[in-house]
Amino acid sequence: MTTILAVLEQRDGVLRKISHEVVTGAARLGGAVEAVVCAAGPVQGIDRVGAYGADQVITLTNPAFAKYAPEGYAQALADRAKQGGYRAIVFSASATGKDLAPRVAAKLGVGVAADLTDLANDDGGLVVTRPVYAGKALLKVKVMSQPAVLSLRPNVFTPVERPKAGAADTIAVHVPAGRVTVREIKAAPAGTLDVAEAQVIISGGRGLKEPANFKVLEELARAFGGQAAVGASRAVVDAGWRAHADQVGQTGKTVSPSLYIAVGISGAIQHLAGMRTSKVIVAINKDKDAPIFKIADYGVVGDLFEIVPRLTEEIRKLHG
Amino acid sequence: MQIAVCIKRVPDSETRVKIAADAKSLDEAGVKFVMNPYDEFAVEEALQRKEKAGSGEVAVICLGPAAAQETIRTALAMGADRGVLLQADKIPADPFEAARLIAGELQAASWDLILFGRMAIDDYNHQVGPLVAELLGMPCVTAVSHLDIDGAKGVAEREIEGGIEVVDFPLPAVLTADKGLNEPRYPALKGIMAAKKKPLEVKPVQPGTGSLEVVALMPPPERKEGKIVGEGAGAVGELVRLLREEAKVL
Amino acid sequence: MAEFIPARYQPALPLDKLILQDGAPGAGDRMDLDVLIVGAGPAGLACAIELARLAKADGTELNIGVLEKAEALGEHALSGAVVNPRAFRELFPDLKDSDFPFRAPVRKEAVYLLTAGGKWRLPTPPSMRNHGNHIASLCEIVRWLGTKAEELGVNLFTGFPAAQLLVRDSGVVGVRTAPAGLDRAGKPTPGGTPPNDLVAKVTALAEGTRGLLAQAWCQWQKVPSENPQIFALGVKELWETKQPLDRIIHTLGWPLPTDAFGGSFVYPLEPNLVALGLVVGLDYRDVGLDVHVLLQRFKQHPLLKPLLAGGEMVEWGAKTIPEGGFYSLPERRSGNGVLLLGDAAGFVDVPSLKGIHYAMHSGIFAARAIFQNLKSGASLAEYDRQVDASYVRADLYRTRNMRLAFRDGFYLGGLQAGLMTLTGGRFPGGKYRMHADAEVPRRSSAAEPPLAGAVSKVDAVFKSGNSTRDTIPSHLVAKPDVPELVARFYSHMCPAGVYEATENGLRINAPNCVDCKATDVLGPRWTPREGGSGPKYKRM
Repeated sequence: MTTILAVLEQRDGVLRKISHEVVTGAARLGGAVEAVVCAAGPVQGIDRVGAYGADQVITLTNPAFAKYAPEGYAQALADRAKQGGYRAIVFSASATGKDLAPRVAAKLGVGVAADLTDLANDDGGLVVTRPVYAGKALLKVKVMSQPAVLSLRPNVFTPVERPKAGAADTIAVHVPAGRVTVREIKAAPAGTLDVAEAQVIISGGRGLKEPANFKVLEELARAFGGQAAVGASRAVVDAGWRAHADQVGQTGKTVSPSLYIAVGISGAIQHLAGMRTSKVIVAINKDKDAPIFKIADYGVVGDLFEIVPRLTEEIRKLHG
Repeated sequence: MQIAVCIKRVPDSETRVKIAADAKSLDEAGVKFVMNPYDEFAVEEALQRKEKAGSGEVAVICLGPAAAQETIRTALAMGADRGVLLQADKIPADPFEAARLIAGELQAASWDLILFGRMAIDDYNHQVGPLVAELLGMPCVTAVSHLDIDGAKGVAEREIEGGIEVVDFPLPAVLTADKGLNEPRYPALKGIMAAKKKPLEVKPVQPGTGSLEVVALMPPPERKEGKIVGEGAGAVGELVRLLREEAKVL
Repeated sequence: MAEFIPARYQPALPLDKLILQDGAPGAGDRMDLDVLIVGAGPAGLACAIELARLAKADGTELNIGVLEKAEALGEHALSGAVVNPRAFRELFPDLKDSDFPFRAPVRKEAVYLLTAGGKWRLPTPPSMRNHGNHIASLCEIVRWLGTKAEELGVNLFTGFPAAQLLVRDSGVVGVRTAPAGLDRAGKPTPGGTPPNDLVAKVTALAEGTRGLLAQAWCQWQKVPSENPQIFALGVKELWETKQPLDRIIHTLGWPLPTDAFGGSFVYPLEPNLVALGLVVGLDYRDVGLDVHVLLQRFKQHPLLKPLLAGGEMVEWGAKTIPEGGFYSLPERRSGNGVLLLGDAAGFVDVPSLKGIHYAMHSGIFAARAIFQNLKSGASLAEYDRQVDASYVRADLYRTRNMRLAFRDGFYLGGLQAGLMTLTGGRFPGGKYRMHADAEVPRRSSAAEPPLAGAVSKVDAVFKSGNSTRDTIPSHLVAKPDVPELVARFYSHMCPAGVYEATENGLRINAPNCVDCKATDVLGPRWTPREGGSGPKYKRM
């Protein structure tokens, strides 16, 4: 059988956008895509899933499923998987997906081909690609299990509209009470995003002219919705403008954000030496000959006080 | 408290990746190997929990080649009591096979806690902990960045997108440790000396082939030459478009 | 200010902080050893190995500890290197040359005098004939020696820098290590480690070039030397090349100015893995001389450019070399409870560019003296007697004035050195007096235009594997209010970009430091910082 089971995510009864990526990725393997989500009741946004290539959308319901119930979800999905004879079961490698996928896989007696950036049918087999060694290499793997259990790296499988029926169905499932229960989701304390851990780092240098102007970068960071941290070059920290904890490593630490935006940092390769493993580097500087543009992937020349607020606006639109 | 910590020997995070002649694995010439950094949080947590409880044992389990004895010795130098090396020259590409071997070893005893690092920095698989938990039929919480234990009850916090998930679980349990759980201690001089005398059992094992087969290890796509997108605020629209569609970071 | 003397701006060696009465509070753990060796370089490890073997042969148990400030063995080791195998043979009589951690025997070699666009092949001076020697990486040598030492039961403690000498009356009884985990203001944090005291019957200081405790001991015990020790700074790169190289190369002349002493080396560890570096005496005159920048210029020379085309620099590093030779050796290298080994004592022969086998042999002699001292109370001065009776002293004596002659400039120096070579050191004879490097006046000259395509210092530091904690307190001690010219001098002196001359004065980027010790010779004083800081050399 060539049906792919695509596991969607909901939070508080609303479908998470990452679900569109899962369906998009699942659709790449050809065959029918059956999307499934675990919830306590109807999920808002389910009706949009067909547009991304789901032939069917099944909501598995159980009163305990309002919040993420690791053991219950895993059991329900494994039961469905065992019934269906699926080619593959696809998760997102989101925080929840990374937790859930192995549980389901173990119940099926296999491991997960995890955190994939590409997947394809190849020679009758299923071949996937995953970054390893912090992205310094790519591993191509043949997945031989039936079903294959896969998880997709977020932000890679840009959702593609490929309208299908998306016929919705709701099935009540019975699972034993889980031992592990999610009590609540609380907000991350503001300002504790460690520069070393952030997915997005916006770093400011002397070009900001004075400490108060870092506000402009903080606005931009906020627009990224909790994924971004504001860093500072060592010069700026030494000058006392920013706290020591904000300093972005200059001697090659294991910092590896997806996106590093250098604002008003000019020749500051020294502030970026350890940033080389950033996926993407953007530089904003008024000097078009600034050495920073040589290592940046994308550069915008001009007045940062005009460019950054505009960028903030655009990012807000995206994340809204 | 009886605590098992499962650790892995991995190439240092600063390793310059060179692909071996077989085009499927890392060229290990000159590579520095260390304990997986996430496992350090697990070892530290185990030591702290045992110290808090006042009695018990911290055992360190490692699946790896003979050289992994050195990695176990580092954990012993930090304060773990004994180590077990499940010796295999090659770590299976299929994490399920690794989990099977580790679960087999853990099954032999009863544990209050089994700790792993959240993921290994070489293969980024994020799964051996929960796979083992499933095989042992134990409750499991992954990516724990904060932990409270009261008797046979535990509360863990884990980072998810846009928030922190608070999770209740019973002991015994399997937990995987994330950064922020604690500050791993530096091995003390006395610890380094004592480590030499602590028991380290070596058990040869035979990993199965599993269902994942490595086809190739490849270098990442060449970093394209950077470009200046434009000037002034007017270029921002194009920048965002490129970041979304070309670079795929938004 | 047109000219200045660096010594005026250098803080004095803080003897009161370096010499500590045993029993002083402040230590966490205290460990008792029979023998403590400071530094896991070739001297320290050879000493440990020989000592362990002597004990084993004698049926005695000796508790030997080796302290190393790097996080792992070899990470602070850097050299060219072309190694004379005789010390290896002495230490491992049962092994063959092919068992030793060498990369390749030297087959072909060439010496050139370079000009900006060309080269003159010179006949290889006898002191530089390397037939019978082997190209090697000192990192690999150290790791290999470390394995041998551990097999013999030696305790290796990596990540523990020795920061102070523990003394009782006029005798050395051990060391106190540096604390780890201090915050930027120097205060301890919960995850950190306090200093530890290691106490032993004999302490062997094998700290390498410009060893801090070795300096402290000599000053404390007022051990003189005929000349002050002088140093050169070597900056080295390791390249994976597309073109093969089948010979070792040494050059003189360009790009060095004629009032600076030094030259370059190019050694293939493998046909396509090439180590190259530039070594310059720290008595250079020009404020703007920058060894790292000169190395970048050197790589543009037609001799090197085609070799490096399409290749990749995989590692970078820097280290000073003690160049004073015979007359800069301390009058005695042994004392009450203490010995000085290797580069820390100054056992380097500049004309042949060799130090590793002298270091190892000094370690071997030290081990024998220590063993006799522990067994029968024989004086540690036996170490000095053994070194003085050996080829180590003979070699250094023969070349005692050759480097020193170059204080008179390249051509006059070269002439004199040539005469000394021909006469085996007898003419010109006598003793050339040298000033300490910091006493040599410096003057400013026209600034050089920046070089296109050069490796920046910060990129270089990145390639040294340096991942020092950014919030670590600064370990460098400068005088306050350093004038702009001096700050600029420091910024060129330091290959790692630690110093910057800004409008607000001298800025110190301490985490960049790769422990080369040039700063300790000419500028702000170097002190140890938490273990594991600094470079992480792999095959340097």
